[in-house]
Amino acid sequence: MGRYTIRRLLQLIPVLLGTTFLINFMVWQLPGDPFAGRCGQRPCPESYITMMREQFGLDQPMLVQYWNFLKNMLTGDLGVDFKQVSVASQLADAWPITIRLAILAVTIEACIGITAGVLSGLKRGGFLDNSVTISTLFLLSLPTFVTGYLLQWLLGMRFGVIKPTVSDGAPMAELIVPAIVLASLNMAFTARLTRTSIVENRRADYVRTAIAKGLTNRRVVSVHLLRNSLIPAITFIGTEVGSMMSGAIITEGIFNIHGVGGLLWRAILGQDYTIVVPIASLLVLVYLLTNLIVDLLYGVLDPRIRYE
Amino acid sequence: MSEPIVTQDLVQSADEHAGSAHPTAADKPRGLWGDTWDILKRRKIFWISLVMLVLFLLMTAFPTLFTDKDPNYADLARSMEGPSEGALFGIDLQGRDVFARTIYGARTSIIVGTMATLATVVLGGITGVLAAYYARWTDILISRVGEMFLGLPYVLGAIIILGTIAPAQSNPSEFMIMTVVIIVLAVLGWPILMRIARSAVIQAKHQDYVQAARALGAGPLRIIFKHLLPNSLAPILVYATITIGSFIGAEATLSLLGIGLRPPVISWGIAIADHAQYIRTGAHALFFPAAFLSACVLTFVMLGEAVRDALDPKLR
Repeated sequence: MGRYTIRRLLQLIPVLLGTTFLINFMVWQLPGDPFAGRCGQRPCPESYITMMREQFGLDQPMLVQYWNFLKNMLTGDLGVDFKQVSVASQLADAWPITIRLAILAVTIEACIGITAGVLSGLKRGGFLDNSVTISTLFLLSLPTFVTGYLLQWLLGMRFGVIKPTVSDGAPMAELIVPAIVLASLNMAFTARLTRTSIVENRRADYVRTAIAKGLTNRRVVSVHLLRNSLIPAITFIGTEVGSMMSGAIITEGIFNIHGVGGLLWRAILGQDYTIVVPIASLLVLVYLLTNLIVDLLYGVLDPRIRYE
Repeated sequence: MSEPIVTQDLVQSADEHAGSAHPTAADKPRGLWGDTWDILKRRKIFWISLVMLVLFLLMTAFPTLFTDKDPNYADLARSMEGPSEGALFGIDLQGRDVFARTIYGARTSIIVGTMATLATVVLGGITGVLAAYYARWTDILISRVGEMFLGLPYVLGAIIILGTIAPAQSNPSEFMIMTVVIIVLAVLGWPILMRIARSAVIQAKHQDYVQAARALGAGPLRIIFKHLLPNSLAPILVYATITIGSFIGAEATLSLLGIGLRPPVISWGIAIADHAQYIRTGAHALFFPAAFLSACVLTFVMLGEAVRDALDPKLR
């Protein structure tokens, strides 16, 4: 286990280097002028461009730029954006809000998704099963922003149950509906995964043994069946936590939440790449680390899986 | 309601197995695809999605069958009028007919969805087969590069690439922007298909018939095209069908964010983006494109699931 963890951590390094290199390359090297439109209607003066290029090291070769970026990231220096405001302080403001939104979304996803999956898997072919299958099918075909606008319009404007947009501090209560929107797609996936694995495991030998031993149905389901069937669902939820952070871009946009997604989004619209690169790299790191943790968790949850 | 059908299926498939064990002259042996078709044609969900697919394809090819209005004709005096007899879905912000624009929007979505999926299948399929067939260094190289792209969450990756090469302020031509969006979707989507193709080929590689072909002196190209590819087609096909749906959703999302397609292209995503801030006064201009978009995604997801269920021997 320990050796496996170390090997996986080592394998993470080239992937992380590759992905951050990709981000750097795409943002800085692809055609496009980072200073276009920075000075209002007229083109930027030559002196400003030279000064900015020098400050952000754009006059240096690609690999030197990347090396400096790595050095800065490793020392925790996120630098300043084109407006000379510290990126770290902007991130510190936005991070807690996104974390709160993601935790809420994952909780909703896990509770509703797993419950629906278990109930429909246990009564395969029944009314509940059919309705869960059909409703997950619909949820899967609704893009996040359609769900977002629909709930915003229905609950926020038609019935006035919630505020259409979230206020500045983003209190928990106001984040519930955005969290449902963020979770909706994954909730459907979770429900389906849980259902499939319950249906498959019901025919497994250990379940038959448990029944043959004379255990009550309740005990067979809760101790034997559930514990084994929830592994794929938990894995899925775990891997999705990482991508939820960046997936929140759309939800945060619709409900006007000032989280990391919103920050990244505004930076991209304003073409402020100095914010885009470090934040995108951090999101990738979070994503890769959650994937790793989930993989390691897999062995703890299911001792049959051995790591060499 | 579904119970009698299931038992009937079981009885029939039992008959089929008995038939295939002792093939007679009249009973032609069927392969995987024959079996699949047999199951498919009894599924209601398959027929529903097929009818919807045909409708959307008709909209793509002949939008004039559904509407004789010009989607670009604008009468500002009628801006944001609700649905009425003359305009089934109402009028949008610029005074254009929402129904006509929704119908014409199908073309963009279907083209982007299928072309991006095609590119993904070609790119992912080739790399997957190469990785599995040559194994060793080729496999390691391709798999690691795939992981780098997978490490980039989808929305984030698309936003970064598109935001850089076609920022919201720029104004590329209709053809250019569609090509760029298709390439971006494919570049970010290929690793998953690569993995599917790779594992399918690895499974097929050690089968006796492949060994036999190699023993008979077949070259790598012949083995890949004659033996490995046809046998890994099923999982790729299923994934591709569902991917068309999710790419259509992704295209709309990117257009909504202002970095995907943009006017004068007519697209559901753009229509939704244009009217998102008028949700209080004219929800119809937002609702109908969104409904068509969801129905279109639903069609491909349903079709893919029906095919997957039919192909999956575990569910039989």
